[in-house]
Amino acid sequence: MRRRLREKGNAFVIPAIFWVLTFTIFPLVYSFRVSLSKVLYGKLAGFAGASNYLRMFGDYRFWGTLRFTLILVLISVCATTAIGLGLAVVFNRKMKGLRVFRSILTMPLFTAPVALGYLGVMMFYEENGPINVLLKYLGMGKVPWLSHPLWATLAICLVDIWQWTPFAFIILLAGLQSISDEIYEAAVIDTSSGWAIFRHITLPLLSPVLGTVIMLRMVDAFKAFDIPFSLTSGGPGTATRTLTFYIYTQGLRNFDLGYASAMAYFLLAITMVIGLLFFRRYRELYE
Amino acid sequence: MGWRKSLVLLISVVFVLGFVFGALAQEGASELEIQTANAAFEAADKGNPDPAWKGQKLTIAVYSAGPRGAISGPLYFWRPYFEKLTGATYDIVEIPFGELREKIFTDLMTGTGTYDIIVGPSWFYGDYIMNDWIVPAQEFFNDPRMPKWEPESIALPVRELYMWGDKLVGFNNDHDGQVIYYRRDILSDPKWQEEFKKEKGKDMPTPPWTWEEVYEICDFFNGKDWNGDGEPDYGISMHLKVGGQGFFHFMALSAPYVVSPAPGDNPAKVTRYHNVYWFDPETMEPLVNTPGFVEALNMLIKLSKTGPSAMFGWSLGEAWDAFLRGKAVMCWSWGDVGSLAQLPDRSSIKGRLGVAPIPGSDKYYDLETKQWVNKKNFVANTVGASWHGVISKYCKNKELAAYFLSWQATPQINHWNVVWGWTGVDPGTSYDFLQPSGKATIEEYVATGYDAEDARQFVTAYEEMWTKYPLRQTYLRIPGTPEMWEVYDIHLSEAVTGQVSPEEALNRIAEEWKAIVERYGKDTLKKIYQEAIGYKPE
Amino acid sequence: MRRRRKGSVVTEILTWVVVVIAILWVLFPFYWTVITSFKKPADVFRLSSIPWLQFTPTLSNWQTEFTQRGPEILRGITNSIIIAVFASLLAVALGTLAGYGLARYRYVKWRNQSMAFWFLSQRFLPPAATVIPFFLLMKSLGLLDTRVALILVNTTFAMPFAVLIMKDMFRELPVELEEAALVDGCSRWEAFLRIALPLAAPALVATVIICFSFAWNEFLFALVLTYKKATPMTIIIAGTEHTQGVQFWYVSTRLLLAILPPTLLALTVQRYIVRGLTMGAVKG
Repeated sequence: MRRRLREKGNAFVIPAIFWVLTFTIFPLVYSFRVSLSKVLYGKLAGFAGASNYLRMFGDYRFWGTLRFTLILVLISVCATTAIGLGLAVVFNRKMKGLRVFRSILTMPLFTAPVALGYLGVMMFYEENGPINVLLKYLGMGKVPWLSHPLWATLAICLVDIWQWTPFAFIILLAGLQSISDEIYEAAVIDTSSGWAIFRHITLPLLSPVLGTVIMLRMVDAFKAFDIPFSLTSGGPGTATRTLTFYIYTQGLRNFDLGYASAMAYFLLAITMVIGLLFFRRYRELYE
Repeated sequence: MGWRKSLVLLISVVFVLGFVFGALAQEGASELEIQTANAAFEAADKGNPDPAWKGQKLTIAVYSAGPRGAISGPLYFWRPYFEKLTGATYDIVEIPFGELREKIFTDLMTGTGTYDIIVGPSWFYGDYIMNDWIVPAQEFFNDPRMPKWEPESIALPVRELYMWGDKLVGFNNDHDGQVIYYRRDILSDPKWQEEFKKEKGKDMPTPPWTWEEVYEICDFFNGKDWNGDGEPDYGISMHLKVGGQGFFHFMALSAPYVVSPAPGDNPAKVTRYHNVYWFDPETMEPLVNTPGFVEALNMLIKLSKTGPSAMFGWSLGEAWDAFLRGKAVMCWSWGDVGSLAQLPDRSSIKGRLGVAPIPGSDKYYDLETKQWVNKKNFVANTVGASWHGVISKYCKNKELAAYFLSWQATPQINHWNVVWGWTGVDPGTSYDFLQPSGKATIEEYVATGYDAEDARQFVTAYEEMWTKYPLRQTYLRIPGTPEMWEVYDIHLSEAVTGQVSPEEALNRIAEEWKAIVERYGKDTLKKIYQEAIGYKPE
Repeated sequence: MRRRRKGSVVTEILTWVVVVIAILWVLFPFYWTVITSFKKPADVFRLSSIPWLQFTPTLSNWQTEFTQRGPEILRGITNSIIIAVFASLLAVALGTLAGYGLARYRYVKWRNQSMAFWFLSQRFLPPAATVIPFFLLMKSLGLLDTRVALILVNTTFAMPFAVLIMKDMFRELPVELEEAALVDGCSRWEAFLRIALPLAAPALVATVIICFSFAWNEFLFALVLTYKKATPMTIIIAGTEHTQGVQFWYVSTRLLLAILPPTLLALTVQRYIVRGLTMGAVKG
């Protein structure tokens, strides 16, 4: 099925390109310059060459935060995409109150992450919080959600998944809905297995959107900041400190912008590499 | 769409009505507040407001707590009085507490100058001084237009936070430090005293004077049901969450192990090895991994086992709550606990509060002789912020700003703020301490809702700590202080949760502090540090 | 266009079980927020999951919020609404155009996927590194503490989503309809407006909602670029933490107040946009 009009058209993209040029290039270039400088109190105070980058590679805290960020990204992206897809499939039907249900499911997206973190503190409250109370009734012990490094990690993942699953859900649902009925009607003639239809028809058709969702989610998850910030402040110790959190405290609390920018560029490089890898996989679907 | 539309409409209407009602409703000040405020207003020195100030406006930055919240509340409360006095007014810009440094420093660094007055914490002083960002109070002190206030009435350890060397920099407001709170009813209960004697073989120290005694008491009570609710209760309650100001606990606890008296007739004199806490004033080497600190950290870890393990994730609210509703028998923290204990919707222990000056230690480490000295040591602390106003160098009307801050610093107004607990201003001047040593009466506190004995214990504990303790802990006021404290906080948390050993944690802190000092410039920092602690090289 | 499954009763039940669990999972924290907003501060830390059974509800938190902090909260919500609405509309407008262009046309100079990737790159850099340059930019434009500044910022960050999502959605639409229209004499713009856009309506709704939510929750830039006049709700919520700790009861009230406008908006927007766009469209 030919998907493209074989014409050269550029008018549609121009407004967006113009916008990006204006508001993106300057910050990117400026940040790079800063990453090569020594900065004190927000003022560039001399050329530092690669010293910020070297410092970064020798900083055990940097590696620790990178490790935790990767764990968070992995868990969150997999979980939100899988659950989001499942929910989208389930909700992709004519049912009573569908619109209301869908609106309810989007509510987590509007919860300011800062507030969500504090809410989490209450809910994960180890003494009398609802989660531990429920676990107690189910016969399990008191889980040290916020005072133990391992459980704190899990707590952050749970909150992150709660907030971001609707993101995947909404987009995948829209994707499912744009698959025309005729395709399904044709498929049903060949097989009545829902799973087979899903695997061979739905999933391939959904692939581009799925890929986009995964990539968007991944890129954003690397920048996870708000939830660790308000739920655990990166603790206990630095067990739940993400890389962006570290960049934030270095750059905007301590105003050590040189170092912060260097780390930010490193993060940029990682996410770019991952993004490019993804793009390569889906190249055939784009061209 | 019928019912949906009506639902939307209904919710929106309720919403809007709520705000309309709110806008029309009263402020919330009680009769008595207004009465006493008027009296304080009349009695306070009003100086001589310059008529040229009429119609001018200042912008004051303060952390966000609302019109009836701590520290920001008084600014709202006294604004109408200020307007009446001078014809000028001010805008209050509230900044989320966690973002104070970003916002204020960005404003000062970029010269944007939106804020004329900054009601900030003492830990910014290093950065203020290094960058010459503020205009000291000294410049206006003798200006005849200014209301007269008495820096000498502030207890010495706190007064030093308002000064730099001999120069007065800030204007009197809050006075922070940590004391230890305990359940005086439980500790003086003969039944428990007897059991304690049986279990520990000695009398229960009431109140505890050293950390070892605190540990014994908390260890004894932890796990027993001493409040009669059928469930085991706790010994100590602490706020050890990263970012939960837990490091101030350690700062106060470790002081007596580390701060050693100077030989000679002035034990409080700051020398290279005595009365120092943060860095060696000659070399700028961090002291944080010296034996005194290691011992103190071990004590902190020991103590943390006499409370719930959830403490490692508690910030102030949770930790204070455990004590205020009678679940923990002790906690050491700021004056807020004393005033919160009087509020029925926050506490169930009103009238049963015991307060003592911060405990000392059984021994201390002498840095000069590199030996432990087995003598009891008591060191006063001023940990916390001691929030007060300073004038930004970008202020457009510095005299008006100085007028406002001087007026708020006058004994009558400041004391009014102190007795009314919701203002968040804690006692610290002779006008707040009780007669005969101070000028206040217990009735003033009782009138605002304090239980008489609670108030007496509370105010006396602070007075004793700040006027009777022989030594005091120096406050870190060098550029990069908040950054260093963040490092301090993180690694302390690692140590108490067992992720690293105490020695390793303290070594990490020392390493990072060294790197921070290098970054800011060791020589610059050394000079500022020496000025900040009052050290004169010999 | 929804799938109609001719499933068995078991599948029906299972489906409904999943729906119920999903709704509970989403709603539970909100339930918790609601009851916390009615708790006395001391109750927040006690066993208090069921109102009236385990604690006595009180109206005082709400009273305080409306009376003392009312004007400030109202300003926060108004700012948030204005910023989020304009930012999302602008982002979606620009993004849809770009997405359509990338989906339907081939560009000679740059390959399409590179352009798409380039749009996405805006999101790769952590905000902490871009905040200061933005601050300096806004300062020199005289836009500090204005809603315009935040609208510009939020549009910048939301647009890549719009571009990518809409591009994918347009690619799924069969091209024949538009070709037919072009043959009939429609301009490209008309083909876009009257054929492609209405068909992509569900995706449009999704994108608007997502972009709106990004702008709604944005905190860092709001913090740095605003002082008093243009502070959105996220700053007001963060203001519940002060030296005496986090005031969870106020977090709850503010969270509820903050989530009300977007939810109502989402409820109405879905119907409205879909209806508006399918009117007058030619469906094949």
